[in-house]
Amino acid sequence: MRYRVSHRTTYAYDEDVTDSYGIAYLRPRELPWQRVDAYELSIDPVPQDRSDDVDYYGNTTTYFQITEAHTELDIESVSDVEVSVPVYDPDALAVPWERARPLLTDVPGAWAVTDLALPSPQVDQVVGAREYAASSLLRGRPIGDAVTDLMHRIHAEFEYDKTATTVTSTVEDILDKRAGVCQDFAHLTLACLRSHGLAARYVSGYLATEPPPGKERIVGADASHAWVAVWLPGPDPTGPDAGQWLAVDPTNDQWAGDRYVTVAWGRDYGDVPPVKGVIFTEAKRSTMTVAVDVAPVG
Amino acid sequence: MTVLRDYATALAQPALAGDGPRGERYDEVVAPDGSLRTPWKGLAELAVGLTGADLDRVDGDISRFLDDDGVTYARPGTGGSGSEAWHLDAVPLIVDAATWAPLEVGLAQRTELLNAVLVDLYGEQKLLAEGIVPAAAVLGHPGFVRIMARASAGDPRPLVFAAADLGRDAAGEWRVLGDRAQAPSGIGYAMENRRVISRVLPELYREAGLHRMEPYFWAMRSALLQSANGDLADPRVVVLSPGTHSETAYDQAFVASTLGFPLVQGSDLVVRDGWVYMRVPGRLERVDVILRRVDAAWSDPLELRGESQLGVPGLAEAVRRGRVRVVNGLGAGVLENPALLPYLPAACERLLGEPLRLESAPTWWCGDRGGLETVLDRVGEVTIRPIDGPADALAELTREQVIERVLAAPHRYVGQERLPLSQVPTWQRRGRRGGEMRPRPITLRTFTLRYGSSYRPLVGGLAAVHEETGVGRSIASKDVWVLKSGPGDADQGLAEVMSLTSVRSVAVTVPRILEDMYWSGRYAERAEDLLRLIIATHTVAEDYKTRPGTTGAVSLGVLMAAIGRLAGHRFDDVDEEFRSLLLDAERSGSVAHALTGLWDALAGVRDQLSSDIWRVFGATDRAAEALRTNPHSHQIAESAGRALTGILSLQGVTASMMRDPGWQMIGAGRSLERALQLCHLLRATITERRGLDVDRTVLTCVLQSSESAVTHRRRYRGYVRPASVFELLILDIDNPRSLAFSLQEVRDRLAAMPSSTGSSRPERLVADLIEEVAAQDIAALVAIGGVGRPNLEAFLDRFVVQLGRLSDAIAEVHFASGPPPRLLGQLVGQLAAQVPLVQEGP
Repeated sequence: MRYRVSHRTTYAYDEDVTDSYGIAYLRPRELPWQRVDAYELSIDPVPQDRSDDVDYYGNTTTYFQITEAHTELDIESVSDVEVSVPVYDPDALAVPWERARPLLTDVPGAWAVTDLALPSPQVDQVVGAREYAASSLLRGRPIGDAVTDLMHRIHAEFEYDKTATTVTSTVEDILDKRAGVCQDFAHLTLACLRSHGLAARYVSGYLATEPPPGKERIVGADASHAWVAVWLPGPDPTGPDAGQWLAVDPTNDQWAGDRYVTVAWGRDYGDVPPVKGVIFTEAKRSTMTVAVDVAPVG
Repeated sequence: MTVLRDYATALAQPALAGDGPRGERYDEVVAPDGSLRTPWKGLAELAVGLTGADLDRVDGDISRFLDDDGVTYARPGTGGSGSEAWHLDAVPLIVDAATWAPLEVGLAQRTELLNAVLVDLYGEQKLLAEGIVPAAAVLGHPGFVRIMARASAGDPRPLVFAAADLGRDAAGEWRVLGDRAQAPSGIGYAMENRRVISRVLPELYREAGLHRMEPYFWAMRSALLQSANGDLADPRVVVLSPGTHSETAYDQAFVASTLGFPLVQGSDLVVRDGWVYMRVPGRLERVDVILRRVDAAWSDPLELRGESQLGVPGLAEAVRRGRVRVVNGLGAGVLENPALLPYLPAACERLLGEPLRLESAPTWWCGDRGGLETVLDRVGEVTIRPIDGPADALAELTREQVIERVLAAPHRYVGQERLPLSQVPTWQRRGRRGGEMRPRPITLRTFTLRYGSSYRPLVGGLAAVHEETGVGRSIASKDVWVLKSGPGDADQGLAEVMSLTSVRSVAVTVPRILEDMYWSGRYAERAEDLLRLIIATHTVAEDYKTRPGTTGAVSLGVLMAAIGRLAGHRFDDVDEEFRSLLLDAERSGSVAHALTGLWDALAGVRDQLSSDIWRVFGATDRAAEALRTNPHSHQIAESAGRALTGILSLQGVTASMMRDPGWQMIGAGRSLERALQLCHLLRATITERRGLDVDRTVLTCVLQSSESAVTHRRRYRGYVRPASVFELLILDIDNPRSLAFSLQEVRDRLAAMPSSTGSSRPERLVADLIEEVAAQDIAALVAIGGVGRPNLEAFLDRFVVQLGRLSDAIAEVHFASGPPPRLLGQLVGQLAAQVPLVQEGP
């Protein structure tokens, strides 16, 4: 599938902002199943300083600084991407999940994914998550099945509710409320998998939504999305990033297919927020509006 | 018998000695056969001659010197307000050249290794890929800063200055207990210890033939200058401090002023176009090297901890682009991870191709199965600690709780062998009976600097004295003397470095510093004025407090009400009220409160000031201590008088300051506060008429506390009348205590500021006030209306308000450093609570 993705974030302040520093993670990644044909990031006011870099996880980041006084900041990315359905090695999916624990496996290259098997700032080690995951991670169960089962259960037993959580909610809050949004479900899934020693990463991106039957697609109604990918040790790994990553979406109860545009990944949301920043201002209030559009092309 | 002989004798008789397992502990002074060890032999005559009385005197001198220098250390957990005095023991740890030599080589190699480890972990990660260091031991440590682990951020020498804590094992060998690389502290304390010990034991110090420390600071300065990226003729270096509430604030300021680099805080710096600048009024000055005393996590709210107010947004980006050098590099904290210790020997073979010379205390990482088993087998024998927390983090837990914690997340814990450590005779105070010498275990903090192309340890260090059990926090420090092998040895082995004598700390006038200078002036004056008022009032109280209804008692009531206007009312008992005014730092408007404010303000600019300034607090602390221990009423006047002497000595220090903007601001603050205090005092005392006798007693007191009694007596021959008092205190431009004079001072100081335009708002305001005072007519001011003097009352009320406005205007023009940083999208609509105008602080 080919998409034109536009993602626009607008901040409005009630007083001048005199200095604004920002970091954006908005450029879709180049992947075996995803090609980026075009990408453009525009920032208004135009930053006097702007530079791109590649982070620890291989994501593209953009640093910018605006020193012109402004009451509105507009950040818009437009990307043309072509996505196919990722293909997983059936043998890798069939590996007993216990063998996919990088800290305990003797698979060469496992060290490189250790990072993603450890707790991270927003995905703490939580006993509740470990217990919740135990009934999916049955002894000797193939990792593909085990993870898919966990995804089904989270989808079935947790409610999608935008009012249930905030950006600072913890995995424990989500377990308590049995509700949350895509970011929360991703963090919960990560906690479940990592507490059993599996390596899993937080993936930030977009999901192309189908318009309801008989209706036109509404531009800008989409949202940025988040899901997770779990490490499958490859049968014959060669590079440091040995193995594959099975991407599953607990929010929509499906494996991430060709409707999923991958932007960036890391340990949790904190590693890859679409936009973050620090501003200098006397303003007391600000508003943020986000408009995402994933439009099928051709 | 002398102290050292007694000590040696006691050691030989462990049964009589009492506390501790000294049989197995290496004694740094006395060999097992009872003779003195080599480094002490040369000093035997002098050292052995020291008696208990000598050491009591020396111990007292040390405390006094440290007080006078204002040396503090806030223990972790006590927060900023719990600034504690620094403790230094009289007996140094002495190490001879032969013992030091292998240690020196070992430290240099170890630091070179740590630098190589750092480069590898943030670059190729071959230690992890080859399994030499387990990945989880590194990646699970919060000191691993991922934003610096990028191809773009390569720094070939991220470790410039490291420290290590060492202790002796059962065989008497030095072993490393832990490495310090985040922002190593202590070298300032080490230097201060040396200064003090050299003064209190001058003969011993002279005879010992030890390595002086100064050349090491020269080398440090040179190393920092050379750390600048590129080839700069005159790189700008700053020391970035988390602020005066940091537990090692003293150390930071000491290092900054000794090296001659400005001490700055995050808000003093700003990133523009990827370069770092210092906010000097009217311009930005580029910064090339930052000696970082802020932990990496707090250094950049944009990419690290967003709630940090200690950092500089964009700093990490500037570092990655190679536009500023941060020392040590952001991310060096990963080296403090004790889980690395078991793997250093193999890492040394792999990265340097050499065996590790200076071994660590045996340590096991619980993330390793074998390590976990060893640690679980020996719970209770080994120290189990988190990889990112203090050694005593689990000290309060039961054995079962410790095991549970470790099993829940083994990779987050290590176990470390408890070394017996070595012991050094330490002088223990015993109240009035005089002290005695007891053996106490010590650890040694060493410092190593990258100088030129190699690493050089400080020939010396900082020893920490521990409780008998050898665990827990230190109870005192010791100077460390490393003896030269011969008189020809260069100090620190550094014959070639340039002396620092020509280095003067460049006065830095970032707005924060001007603000601290201004407030130090205001608090000093506030403390002085209240002390004078207390002294004058106390005299009246002594005479009249037990004679209600008399003129004197009514006058006393008026004066106490005047104090109440400044500091509120707490106690009906006059003496108790005085004590509270002098001692209660929590009481807004009290002397103690003003002194705390003064301390905080001065601590913020410590590097800019002569260390003599801290003698003020030595004096006021002693005065307060005397008052606490002496219940008699006369001690109130006595202590207030001594505190006043202390405060007045500030004038002597500021008199020798460069006439730079900081000095101007101290003066402006002082004069403005004086004007304000005078208005409050007059308003509370003589706007109301209470009969001739009461008015006269009160006026006399007002003159005394305004330091104008003598002048008044001379000029008006003892007739104390309102008109003459007002003339002297309000209008007289020759009386340095008058309102007119104080306002002119403020005007002159503001005019001398580089940013003065002659028409800035504070300058306009003060000009108006001066004009208004000049236009006053005494007869009109003293005019009576009913029971009061309505004209005077209105005049003073207006001035109190106007002086507040003037202060605000000064702050706006000279101290404004722009709004504080906030996280994008997290604005809260909350206004800072406004403090009442009367006794405001910054």
